[in-house]
Amino acid sequence: MKFLLTISLRNLLRQKRRNIFLGSAMAFGVMILITANSFSHGVSDIMFNKLIVYMTGHVGITFNEGTGRRIPIFRDKERILKVIQNNIKKDEIADVDEAIGMFCRAIGNGKADNVVVVGIDMSKQVSEELEKEYMESFNVVEGSYDDLARDDIENPVLLSRQKAESLNVKRNDVIRIRFQNVYGQDMAARAVVVGLMANDNLFMQGVLFVELKNIKKMMGYRPQECGNIQIILKNPVRDAVKTADRLHEALNPGPAFIAGTVRGAAKAGVTILPFMADNDSKRIMRESFKLASGRLDDVLAKDGVMIGRRLAGLIGAYPGSKISISFKPRFADKDASFTCKVNGIFTGPPDEEEKLIYMHESLFYKYFYSNLPDIIKDKDKAYIPPDDSPFSKALGTEWVLLDRTATTDDATKKEAQIAKKKIKAMTMDVNTMYETASDVLKLEGVLNLVTLIAVLILFFIIVLGVINTLRMSIRERTREIGTIRAIGMQKRDVRSIFILETVSLTFFASICGVVLAFIVMELLSLIKFNVVDNPMGILLLNQRLHFLPTISGIIFNILFIILIAAATAYFPSRRAAAMSAADALRHYE
Amino acid sequence: MQISIKNLYKNYQLNGLEVPAIRGIDLTIKKGEFSAIAGPSGSGKTTLLNIIGGLDRPTAGEIRVGNDDLNKLNQKELSDLRLHRIGFIFQAYNLIPVLTALENVEYVLLLQGVLKEERTTRSTRILEEVGLGEYINRFPKELSGGQQQRVAVARAIVSEPEIILADEPTANLDQKTGALLLDLMHDLNHKKNITFLFSTHDQMVMEKARRLVYLTDGTSNSDTFRGHGHFKDNKIKKKSKKKSN
Ligand SMILES: Nc1ncnc2c1ncn2[C@@H]1O[C@H](COP(=O)(O)OP(=O)(O)O)[C@@H](O)[C@H]1O
Ligand SMILES: [Mg+2]
Repeated sequence: MKFLLTISLRNLLRQKRRNIFLGSAMAFGVMILITANSFSHGVSDIMFNKLIVYMTGHVGITFNEGTGRRIPIFRDKERILKVIQNNIKKDEIADVDEAIGMFCRAIGNGKADNVVVVGIDMSKQVSEELEKEYMESFNVVEGSYDDLARDDIENPVLLSRQKAESLNVKRNDVIRIRFQNVYGQDMAARAVVVGLMANDNLFMQGVLFVELKNIKKMMGYRPQECGNIQIILKNPVRDAVKTADRLHEALNPGPAFIAGTVRGAAKAGVTILPFMADNDSKRIMRESFKLASGRLDDVLAKDGVMIGRRLAGLIGAYPGSKISISFKPRFADKDASFTCKVNGIFTGPPDEEEKLIYMHESLFYKYFYSNLPDIIKDKDKAYIPPDDSPFSKALGTEWVLLDRTATTDDATKKEAQIAKKKIKAMTMDVNTMYETASDVLKLEGVLNLVTLIAVLILFFIIVLGVINTLRMSIRERTREIGTIRAIGMQKRDVRSIFILETVSLTFFASICGVVLAFIVMELLSLIKFNVVDNPMGILLLNQRLHFLPTISGIIFNILFIILIAAATAYFPSRRAAAMSAADALRHYE
Repeated sequence: MQISIKNLYKNYQLNGLEVPAIRGIDLTIKKGEFSAIAGPSGSGKTTLLNIIGGLDRPTAGEIRVGNDDLNKLNQKELSDLRLHRIGFIFQAYNLIPVLTALENVEYVLLLQGVLKEERTTRSTRILEEVGLGEYINRFPKELSGGQQQRVAVARAIVSEPEIILADEPTANLDQKTGALLLDLMHDLNHKKNITFLFSTHDQMVMEKARRLVYLTDGTSNSDTFRGHGHFKDNKIKKKSKKKSN
């Protein structure tokens, strides 16, 4: 083998010019391939680990409460975090964020501008790696990142130098911001500049960063509530869909109810259940409801409740009378209470007659969400009709979990359908970057195309170059082939000699190509692009092209190239080996 | 080990035409002979040697080397036959240009699977034997024609074959060098009892051969034995010329 290799190498040197030419072409192709690959990988890295991380996360859980103004709120943050904790392996998850941001009008010193205020959670422990990455992307040059967390300053804020200029503010200056909170109320707040960022990232230049708990307060979130959740995974491509599916399963809602006390002439324990207002549910109610008094149309109206006959007797309620209901919310010391009108009295099984009040969902959820009852603790106290009860299909749940979708198109369709349904409960959606950031991900396809083209170029260089070079070598060395066959070499070995020659050439060319690629990448990343308003700017990292070569990628590429070269060399080599030795010996050039 | 050829024919196809190269040859070469096949250019000498060496197959007829019927051997077995029992020497030396003299000789042993150390010692010894001890590390292009042909001889004998087929080995050499080469081969024939069969149209070679088979147009029309430098007449074999078609 060593001897054969020596022969191959010496033979390569024999036709130096030709082989250097082919080798250079191969090296060039390898250079393009490695560069394209590294670029593609680099952009993927930006997309998955930088852009999507900031934009939508790899997996998102979004909430929509209210029918008119849709409020991104979940009333029990701890519960959602627990679901996440219980359903994603610790080593798969990199970070969980609350995505809270708002559009504002900011007024600086005599200058105003539109800004986006985004919350950063300073209280949470993140890995050192991630911390470093954050610091790098914030790149605070004046003031301090840590000051964001100070509570002796009113709403500390971090902004880019560009924004500071457009607002004419410096460190320690006050910015007034005007915005609407999640409930649609006009608000104003003051924020103190604690730091300036020198930031090349287009996304971050228009953003004012404040500590999460400050922005949540400004926007009207209570401490136990949270906004949309973004989950950042360590291996998004592998885990995103799987994780979303698992979360979706775990977030299946239970029945919604309020277990409390009702007061009329007397008081009694009661469970209030919402019935849904869509046509199917209304039909069920119409068909199954047995009214003792009152009219069915009144019964399904939004303005009142239906109360069981025994319960009505117990507290002395009648159609048209007012009752007062109170219950213990999960996040308040004081009982919550409200009054409502009795629209009808129904008959049914004793338990239902004695313990239930049915309430139109649009009324129910208002009370339910604004003072979330302790569903889990109250479960034993409450009476919920068994699953086979005709009503159970018409009853509302804690929230409505939307079906999982695979693509942006599906997600858009789903949204349109949901909008038509006029769901009164909060809707919850579990999504992945494939639905929320598919426009960005489409870039991947483009990049793969670039790599494919590089592969094709290389492929043609190899196929044409190798075939041509081998043909020439074989013609020139025909008599030599006859000679080695005459001294007893087997055909197979003759074939190997030529393949080995090609493979060695390809190997050396690949090594040169890799070295070249690194030089080219190094040079290309020296160039600083100043794209401020070009969307392609997102492909840059700190205004420079981002190449991310990987050892495995390079090794794979080299092996791939060698394989192509060997396969290409196989056929001419086999022809050379199959030549009649006698004819080969007679060959004179 | 003797070579026996019976009623041998070889036709070539050239542009759709049958070109007869050998037209009925019967020949027996005994072990240890030092024989020449002579004849004008195109008479079929190379073809005959190629067939004996298993490089080419006859169109008809029988060819045996020792106990082997060459017609019954496959390509791989023919390669092995050449590797272990037959050596070749060519008019144009046919050394591998990228290998040194030593490596050229070693190459055969490598194919035989001889280990490195033995390869080197044996090759070096053989090269010394043929008088090239000082040139073992030279590449072919750094050697004269005569020296190159000596390397070729060394390459042919290093595998210790029983037969050496030499196709016009002196044709590219001057008279004196050719004579020296022939003496070397004669010496080896004598010492190692290797059968030598060469083709030639060189008068000097014909004179030095112990047996001279004369070919014209693919048939032998004279076969002369000479013992110890004396001519020993033999009957002229004349075959009826059959046109094989
Ligand atoms: N491969 C071939 N194709 C066609 N004709 C051939 C081929 N090889 C040899 N011949 C013909 O066979 C005849 C014998 O050739 P050859 O054995 O080379 O003669 P010599 O060696 O005596 O000069 C010649 O007429 C030659 O042209
Ligand atoms: Mg000839």
